[in-house]
Amino acid sequence: MIGHVDADCFYVSAERVRFPHLRSMPVGVLGNHGACIIAKSYEMKAAGVSTGMPIWDATPICPQAVYVKRDFRWYEALSRRMLALVQEVSPRVEFYSIDEQFFAALEPTDGFARQLQNNLLTRVGVPVSIGIAPTKTLAKLISDSSKPFGYGVVADDRQRRALLHNRPVTDITGIAKRSAMHLAAHGIETCDQFARADRAFIRWLLTKRGEDLWWELNGTPVIPVQAVRPKHKFVSRGGSIGRASCDPARVQAFVVRNVERLVEALMHYKVCCDQLTLSLSFTDRPERSLRSSLLGSRADFEALLEAALHLLPQVWQPSSAAVHYMHVIAGCLRPLAHRQMSLFEQPQLHDVKHRINNAVGRFALRSGSTLPLVDVYGDAANEYDICDIYGKSCF
Amino acid sequence: MCKGISILKARLKQELFEQYELSQRIVTRGAGAQEEVHFMYPGAPPIELPVLHDGQLVIYEWGNRNNKACKLPNTGWCRIESLEAGKWRWLSPEKVVIPADFGLEKSVWFQINEGMEGVLVHDEQLRPHVYMMTQPASHYYQTMTRHDRMPILVGQEI
Ligand SMILES: [Mg+2]
Repeated sequence: MIGHVDADCFYVSAERVRFPHLRSMPVGVLGNHGACIIAKSYEMKAAGVSTGMPIWDATPICPQAVYVKRDFRWYEALSRRMLALVQEVSPRVEFYSIDEQFFAALEPTDGFARQLQNNLLTRVGVPVSIGIAPTKTLAKLISDSSKPFGYGVVADDRQRRALLHNRPVTDITGIAKRSAMHLAAHGIETCDQFARADRAFIRWLLTKRGEDLWWELNGTPVIPVQAVRPKHKFVSRGGSIGRASCDPARVQAFVVRNVERLVEALMHYKVCCDQLTLSLSFTDRPERSLRSSLLGSRADFEALLEAALHLLPQVWQPSSAAVHYMHVIAGCLRPLAHRQMSLFEQPQLHDVKHRINNAVGRFALRSGSTLPLVDVYGDAANEYDICDIYGKSCF
Repeated sequence: MCKGISILKARLKQELFEQYELSQRIVTRGAGAQEEVHFMYPGAPPIELPVLHDGQLVIYEWGNRNNKACKLPNTGWCRIESLEAGKWRWLSPEKVVIPADFGLEKSVWFQINEGMEGVLVHDEQLRPHVYMMTQPASHYYQTMTRHDRMPILVGQEI
């Protein structure tokens, strides 16, 4: 049997661990820029505030709400505590996302779920919902539908059918809007209709991923609990660059920043790459990307930066376009240990940078080319990007 | 800027409630939520703030709100730039901490970990007045509250 643990309004719950007086009041966690609500408490949800809403829309409908600035460093610390506790009760645990774990459930009972829930609340301080079922998809469906602070076990066919009964297919993780539209066109709108549909038909309509969900909903596990993160095909760093920009110094500085993040990630996964891709999204033009082959397998800042800066003017066409999003992507990955060192590398410099930043803080020592981004580095919250939390199997 | 603050009721001593009639300031944000005490600048007089002074949590008047008879600056805030330029020197200002759990600006309540910096001065009758210090708002604060000045939070950057 497989268990699924999912924290209830995790970022808010994490804030309540260190600021207990936030309990029972409407709390919103704001993103880095102070504009959007990235997480909300159930009290705030009850007032009609939704995730992603700008604060100026939320204050009129929930005037008594209080707002907290996000702090991923703290959320990651609590996430690791949750993971460690689940690992105490299960031999195989998948770190699925910052606040979710799948685990091999040795004792698939309500009592076990209740005890794990209580342990997480008293020892970590975070309320969670838990589902236990023969498959991952069912387990997640249970915990999602038991929120907040609920749990449930599907041990037999009667319980499984009760769970699926009249539940919209969009409740299934993996059935997005598009798939739901395809299904609706054939009269399939609920989980029980989906599970009773013809398997070959589902495969034809939604490919193998859909078929996997069909098996899982019917109680046959086909998606395994991955205790070890799968080997990467690519490692990518990037995202929004804030306000879209036509300023070459600013865009280049973001390239440098993202290459520094990418090098950190390559070091963490102990891999190097043979190829580097730079991709840019513009405000009113299609996305463009280009790939460059490196001289051998590299993971050092100098080589990757040189390649990225070589690509930049070619990708940034026309140069009058405003850049909004950017990604630097390392491809053709190889284990670091197997790689031949180039004659031109300076391992000492990298080691010194790595040691200083480990001791003093991320980006304390960084490339001088990032100077145009004083606003980004001057704000401590920017040191942390959610995708830089390592080990999760899902973002 | 910040036109109101909230402090948890549990942080204030019982004597203060009697001395300053604080019970009328008690508010909660929901069933089961902790009680808070609110201090608002545009609120009904008396305009006051909690202050940590010489290790004691006391209640002082918040700045000078339209009292023409008083020579103190007619405001509730003190810009750090003018303090540093020496414009408050004639009042012998003393730095204090205004303990708070939440701040209010343009109908947005934001989390405060410990409190904010303030300056303490005395009027002609030697009565204490406290002004909230302000600095240029960070990008975050400015987006959140749409105000270009913000308090100087103690041990906290937002
Ligand atoms: Mg969650």
